[in-house]
Amino acid sequence: MNTNRVKRIIGRAEFWIFIALVVMCIAIQAISGGQLFEPSTVVTILRSMVVDGMFAMVCLIVMVSGGFDLSFPAIAALAYSLSCTICLNMGWCQTNPLAGFIIAVVIGAILGMLNGWIISNFKLDTMIVTLGTQTFFLGVSMGLLQLKEITSQLPLGFRTFGESYLFEVTNSAGLRSTMTTMFIPFVLLCLIVSFVLNRTMFGRALYAIGGNEVSAERAGYNVKRIKFILYTVVGAISGFIGMIRVCMARQSIPKALIGKEMTIIPAVILGGASIFGGEGSVFGTVCAVAIITVVSNSMLLIGIDSYWQDFFNGLVILIGIMISAIQTMRRNK
Amino acid sequence: MSEYLLEMSGICKSFTGVKALDNVNFKVRPGKVMCLAGENGCGKSTLVKIISGVYTKDEGEVLFEGKKISKITPAEATKLGIQVIYQDLSIFPNLTVMENLAINSEITAGRALVNRKRWEATAKEALSKIGYNIDLYAKMGELSVADKQLVAICRALLFNAKLIIMDEPTTALTKREVDALFKTVRQLRDSGIAIMFISHKTEEIFEISDDVCIMRNGKNVYSGLTSDLTPQQFTFHMTGRELTADHFIPKNISKDPVLKVEHLTLKNKFEDINFELRKGEILGVTGLLGSGRTELALSLFGLEHPKEGKIILNGKEVHIGSPIQAQNLKIGYVPEDRLTEGLCLNQPIADNITLSSLKRLCKAFGLLKKQDLIDDGNIWKEKFSIATDDVRKFASTLSGGNQQKIVLSKWLSNDLDVLILNGPTVGVDVGAKQDIHALVHELANEGLAVIIISDDLSEVVVNCSRVIVMRDGKIVGELEENDITEEVILEIIR
Repeated sequence: MNTNRVKRIIGRAEFWIFIALVVMCIAIQAISGGQLFEPSTVVTILRSMVVDGMFAMVCLIVMVSGGFDLSFPAIAALAYSLSCTICLNMGWCQTNPLAGFIIAVVIGAILGMLNGWIISNFKLDTMIVTLGTQTFFLGVSMGLLQLKEITSQLPLGFRTFGESYLFEVTNSAGLRSTMTTMFIPFVLLCLIVSFVLNRTMFGRALYAIGGNEVSAERAGYNVKRIKFILYTVVGAISGFIGMIRVCMARQSIPKALIGKEMTIIPAVILGGASIFGGEGSVFGTVCAVAIITVVSNSMLLIGIDSYWQDFFNGLVILIGIMISAIQTMRRNK
Repeated sequence: MSEYLLEMSGICKSFTGVKALDNVNFKVRPGKVMCLAGENGCGKSTLVKIISGVYTKDEGEVLFEGKKISKITPAEATKLGIQVIYQDLSIFPNLTVMENLAINSEITAGRALVNRKRWEATAKEALSKIGYNIDLYAKMGELSVADKQLVAICRALLFNAKLIIMDEPTTALTKREVDALFKTVRQLRDSGIAIMFISHKTEEIFEISDDVCIMRNGKNVYSGLTSDLTPQQFTFHMTGRELTADHFIPKNISKDPVLKVEHLTLKNKFEDINFELRKGEILGVTGLLGSGRTELALSLFGLEHPKEGKIILNGKEVHIGSPIQAQNLKIGYVPEDRLTEGLCLNQPIADNITLSSLKRLCKAFGLLKKQDLIDDGNIWKEKFSIATDDVRKFASTLSGGNQQKIVLSKWLSNDLDVLILNGPTVGVDVGAKQDIHALVHELANEGLAVIIISDDLSEVVVNCSRVIVMRDGKIVGELEENDITEEVILEIIR
C-alpha cells in the first residue's frame, strides 16, 4: 500500500514539475551568485505571478472539463475597459475600487454566458467557439464601443488599491520592494479553485466530463447546465482578473491582453493538465507558472538580453510538454 | 406476484418512419440469465434503450414485477432496479476506482460536497457485493478491460439492481477473462438477480443463458429456453438462412514458400519463430493474449522490429522497417481494431476502399479522378456484397460486418502476395462472419497466401489448412490439416 502510494505520487506530472522548479531555482541561485533568493527578487517574482497565475486557474478549470478557452483574455480586456470607461465617466471609484470590480465581474459573466450558451446548446468544439467569441469581443471593444486607453485619468481608487502593499523588504544593496496586496486574491483564487475541483461534486463533474462526457451524462450529471455554469463563472473570474491587472498596471488598455492565452495555455499544460481533459491540478499549475516567471525574471538577473526571453520561455514549455507526453506514452505501454 | 420480473409485449418503435421494433414480446425471469441475441442492426440496442428509459416506446405494454409501467425515464429505471452496463462501460478513465464506483450514487443522492470517507465506504460496499478485490486508488484507465468490467458491475449493484443488462460484455475479453466474467454472472444469478445478456456469439449464449430471445429485423423470431435449441437452429433463427461451416480446402498450393521466417526473435515478445507459408494456403496463428501472436504479425508488417532472425520473401531475405516497405513487398495487414486502426469512418466508402491503392489509381502528375475511385469502390462492393446503395456514402453508415469488408477490400485492392488478418471477425455477427470467411477462402484459392491470427478456435479450425500454436512467445505446436480440432489446440495452448 505504501509503495503504491509512493509510486502514484512519482507517477504524477505535478511531482516532476515541482522537482523541476526546485532544481531550476537552485541552479539559477548558483549561477546568479545568490541573487534569486534575495527577498526583493522573491517579492518581485511573486508579484509578476499574480495575473498570469490567476489566468492559469481559469484556464485550468476549463481544460479539466476537456475544453479550451481562448477567449478569457478578450473577456477580461472588454470587461475592464468598459468598467474603467464607465467609472471614469460617472466619476466613480475615486476612493473605493469596489464598484469597478463589480461592473467588470458582471460584464465578464455576461460574456462568459454567451460562450456557455453556444457551447452547451450547439455541442460545438470549445476551441472553435472561443476563437470566434475572442475576435468578436475584441471587435465589440475596439469597433462598436470604441473604448479608449485610460492611463493618467484612471480613477484614483484603482491606482491606490494597486499601489497598496502587504509588507516591504529591503535587499542587501538597500533596494526596497513591496509585496502587493493583489497577492491575496491570487492565493484565495488558488484555494477556492482547489477546493471546488477536489471537494465539490461540481469539481468532480468537471473531471468526469473531461474524462468521458457520455458517461458523465449517463451517471446523472446535467452536462449542459454544468458547462453553461462553468463558462459563465470563468467569464466572471476573467473580468475580476482584468481589474486586478488594471490596478497593478495603473492603466486600462483595451488591446493589452491580446495573445495572452497563447502563453497561459502552454503553462497550464506544462503543469500537468491534459489537452484531452480530465487531468490537472492547482498545485501543478502554480508550479508551472512559477517556473515560467522565474525563468523570465532570471534572464535579467543573469544578464541575458531580453530578446532571448521568448526563446527560453518557449523552450521550457516545449521540454515540459515533451516530458509529460513521454510519461503518458510509458504509462500506456 | 408474477413469475416474471419484466414482461414486455407488443413493443413497437419507429424512427422517422422506419420500424426499428415491430411487435416485440419478451420476458425475463428473476434469478435467470436471459440472452438477447441477434445480428447487428436487428433492434437489440433499441430494445435495451426502451427498457432503460432512453427511448420511449410507440406502442406496447411493459410490466415490471407484475405492475404496469406506462412511462419509463432513466431515473425511474434506476429506481425500479434496472441497470445497464454499456459496451463502453461508461467509466471515467481519469478517475480512481473509488471515484468510479461512488460517483453515480453520489450524484443520485444529490450531494454538493465530496466526503472522501463516505466515498471510500460506498466503494468498499460495492466491491464486497461480489467479493472483488482491487486497489481503490488505482486509476481506472490503467486497469485491464476485465477489471474495468467488474468495477462497472459492482457499480451497478450499488443500486439494488434486480435486472442487469449487459451489452455485449465479452467483445474485448480473452477466453480466460470471459470465464471469470461468467463466474460472476452465475454468482449474481444465484443471488436472485436477473441478467439480460446481449451477445451474438453462439457458444457463449449456450454456455451462460437459461432463456433466449432471438431478434431479426426488429422482430423477435424465437423466445424460450436455450436448452430447447440446437446451435444450428439458433444460427438459423438469427440469420434467417441455413449456415453450414464451410471448411477450407486448399486447391492450389505453390511448391515454393512465398514467405519464410527463420529464428525470428523480438525481445520479451517472442523468440526463435520458424515457419513457412505457401501461396494458396491459409495459415492460422493462435495462442492466448500475450503469447506473442500479435507482435509476430506486426513484425511482418514493419511495425515491430525484431533484432534477430530472417524474413525471406520469394527466396530473398528482406528487411521490413515500416508498413510502407511491407506494402511495397506486397504484404497486407488488417488490424484487430477495425474502427480505430483500419477505417476513416467519416469518409466515403469508396475513398476507404481505395486508400491504400491510390498510387495505382494515380494519373499523370499524381492527379486522381473521382470517378476512378468510385468505379474501384463499386468493384469491391459487388465482390464483397457490401450492403450499401452508394459507395459515396460514409463508412460510418455501415454495420460492423460490412465495415470489416471495407477494411478487407482496402488491402485486397492492391496486388498482394501475403495477407495477414488479425482477428478478422472480432465483433462481427455470424452471417457477416460467414461471408468474410468465404471470401478469404476464395482469395486463397486464387493464389494469395493468408495468415489468420485469431483466438477464436472455431474460426481457426474452419479456415486454416495449417495452424501454429504459440505460448509465451514460442511456437509450441504445429498442426496439419487433418489434426486441426478445437480440442487438440486447446490441449496445446494450456
